[in-house]
Amino acid sequence: MKRYECLKLLASMLGPEVIVVTNIGPISREWNALRPSDANLLQINLGLCAAVGMGVAVSLPKRQVVLLDGDGNLLLNLASLADLANQNLKNLVHIVLDNESYEGGGGLRSATAGRADLAAIARGAGVQNANVVRTVEQFDGAARQSLANPGHHFIVAKVEQGSVEKLPALTLDGKEAKYRFARYIESSEGVQILRPRYTHI
Amino acid sequence: MEAAAVDAVVDGLKKSGVDFISLMPDSDFSILQERVANDKHFTYVPVSNEAIGVGVCAGAWLSGKRPALLVPTSGLLVAAWPLTSLCMAWSLPLLLLIPYRGDIGDAFWLMGPYKDTTEPLLKVLNAPYSVIAKTEEISKAIIDAQGSTISWQRPVAVLLTGETIK
Repeated sequence: MKRYECLKLLASMLGPEVIVVTNIGPISREWNALRPSDANLLQINLGLCAAVGMGVAVSLPKRQVVLLDGDGNLLLNLASLADLANQNLKNLVHIVLDNESYEGGGGLRSATAGRADLAAIARGAGVQNANVVRTVEQFDGAARQSLANPGHHFIVAKVEQGSVEKLPALTLDGKEAKYRFARYIESSEGVQILRPRYTHI
Repeated sequence: MEAAAVDAVVDGLKKSGVDFISLMPDSDFSILQERVANDKHFTYVPVSNEAIGVGVCAGAWLSGKRPALLVPTSGLLVAAWPLTSLCMAWSLPLLLLIPYRGDIGDAFWLMGPYKDTTEPLLKVLNAPYSVIAKTEEISKAIIDAQGSTISWQRPVAVLLTGETIK
């Protein structure tokens, strides 16, 4: 199963209001090509995709939040799964595109290429809806079912290494990403986030 | 921490607009943690390590919350990478509240190394800080730190020492 095929299917399922938080590396570039939007929070560094997504999902309980995580990203801070489970979220679909490697870092094998089973770990951490999919058809079904039902869903999609040719360059850095996402939340939620103050003393 | 110091911290957090708190459970802040966990004013997200806490607060701030992270002294070292890869790289604000174990006067030998790491690390992380030793100064220090972190878009810390963490 190719990651890009899964993401292409997912992009066709999401409304423009769905917030998507993604792992750094090829996932960000592919997702940006498939669903360019200021509702995306791209390029979250290793160990932090689930954590940042938790902050977003807890803060915006009425918004659907999708995390496009990587096996290496999640493995670095596995405790995020336990902390996420304890939040009893109703608005989270956490998808791990598990290529069993650190593709963005050169392709060396991750622990899921060995004995580690992220879905079993998630269940042990308290995530009740945790499943593994291995075909595009299975991914399609699991994604649709998760998006249609409020809850905290966890899908491990076993994908091949490798991306597609000629992806558009992702020219956004973190500083620009911050302003674009924050301005989007300001306008869609009617809140003020960026609030320079001239004095507080 | 004595009740007056806990009251002062909660007062400062509320007056400064903080409405979201993440923390790693820690003995120095245990009474404070109970207070904020049971106070409906705050969205409360306990985490299993401080790096996750930085990520949670970053997501919360980007989503319209005013977060603060309560960090055990040693946990600042755990938080150092996401303070770099998120807060420094993205220019994100974050109010850090840290009990300053290992400050002069802290007789526990195991805390000694944190005198060497805490302030230098905050400087390296481009996170200005205040060191507060008097309970009466806590609330204003938190209000000032929150104003600065929002204005400067980088983390600002309040280190609590002396009578404030007795």
